[in-house]
Amino acid sequence: MARDSYDGTYARPVRRLLLAVLILFLLSLVLLWRIDNPRVERIRAAIVDRYVPNMEWVMAPVTGIARMAEDFQSYRRLFEQNQELRRELQQMRAWREAALQLEQENARLLDLNRVQLDPELTFVTGIVLADSGSPFRRSVLLNVGARDGILDGWATMDGLGVVGRISGVGQRTSRVLLLTDAASRIPVTILPSGQQALMLGDNSATPMLDFVEDPQDVAAGDRIITSGDGGLFPPGLLVGQVVFTSDQRMRARMAADLQRLNFLRVMRSHPGTTLDDPAGLIGPPWPPAGMRVDDDGALVPADAARAEAPEDPDATP
Amino acid sequence: MSALSARHVWTYRALFMAVSLVLITLKLLPLNLASSGVPGPDLLVLLAFAWIVRQPAVVPLGVLLAVFLLADFLFMRPPGLWTVLTILASESLRRRRLTMTEFPFLVEWGAVAVAIMGMVLLNRSALWILLVDLDPLGLTLAHAIVTIAIYPVVVVISKYLFGLRKLGPAELEAL
Repeated sequence: MARDSYDGTYARPVRRLLLAVLILFLLSLVLLWRIDNPRVERIRAAIVDRYVPNMEWVMAPVTGIARMAEDFQSYRRLFEQNQELRRELQQMRAWREAALQLEQENARLLDLNRVQLDPELTFVTGIVLADSGSPFRRSVLLNVGARDGILDGWATMDGLGVVGRISGVGQRTSRVLLLTDAASRIPVTILPSGQQALMLGDNSATPMLDFVEDPQDVAAGDRIITSGDGGLFPPGLLVGQVVFTSDQRMRARMAADLQRLNFLRVMRSHPGTTLDDPAGLIGPPWPPAGMRVDDDGALVPADAARAEAPEDPDATP
Repeated sequence: MSALSARHVWTYRALFMAVSLVLITLKLLPLNLASSGVPGPDLLVLLAFAWIVRQPAVVPLGVLLAVFLLADFLFMRPPGLWTVLTILASESLRRRRLTMTEFPFLVEWGAVAVAIMGMVLLNRSALWILLVDLDPLGLTLAHAIVTIAIYPVVVVISKYLFGLRKLGPAELEAL
């Protein structure tokens, strides 16, 4: 084409070659990502680690101003809000009284039962730096990372409820996959019926509850807590409440306020002991008291073994 | 300053990089975390396309590669895939630019719409072939449609705010 002559006679083939090489390179990058995912994700974490903390000084003021603007809008209905808050406060006083009583009762009962609570559930608090930037991913970036001892898979909460779990740790940042993300599945327990269920994120504000054993037993407003199945999360963290949609699907309204995530607690969970040996014989202690197993596998009185086990009090009557 | 002088071109290249970085940063800000509903437009792609159609020299291949690869990594997308599609679409727009300068804006808009739809569908089918978890189809299409609908706004802003006018065939031939 005569019109395209401005591209130059030599530049065009070179450019075309360059383009082909570039496309091949990018396609192989995609394939590499698909094949060796962990390695490429580590590269991604490194890039995020470099880029995001550097723009913190930009982000802090912009985020602050945007949040102020949001709050300013609510000034317009200050009066109504005030009334509303007073009413709620009145209710809350009653609830507080009830909660105090329950707390005392609970402490008494726990004391009676000598329940062992997990004392090792401590947390690291991080600040939300950035979100995923994509309309299809629900995740946020925290300013704590591997140097703060964060590990993949730890539960993350805001003040009230579970927000998500750590998935991807960089040196200075870590990514929290929110419970609403389409890739999030966690085992939960619905109280008070004690039903086990799976909470499936589906990119909406209210994740779905599925695989409930007995859906009739569940009512709207029931509390959802993590069940700790599979060792994924520590058990007993508050997740939210059951709601029913108009098509009778069971969904969870999260206790955490996903609209305003600012400070998040990463719960340091320790891998608990697991029961993975299914076939152990359960019976009385073997060999019985006062006896021992000799080298041939036969039971003999323990008298002959006094030299080896002098501390055994039942050996000689 | 002529629209073809080296200084002009380099100024706008720097401007493109700067605007792209600002857009990426803005998108990463943790502002509307829980907003679900209609996903926002992909402003980076729109900016690249609008500027390529206006003045192709301003958006060279290297700049596209750098900006979109960074965006792929930061936005948790499969790295490289969206970059490839953007580069392919931008090359096709670059080649068809001359016909667009002669016809009214609607033709340009249509071409961009076809390019974006093609990119979204190719992206989806590539992910499907690679057995990656797919996003909901409705959301993806809504994303594409919103992106296409915002294109005139991006064009107006580039024209009146950044002063990027369309090069006519005469000027292009002169080079």
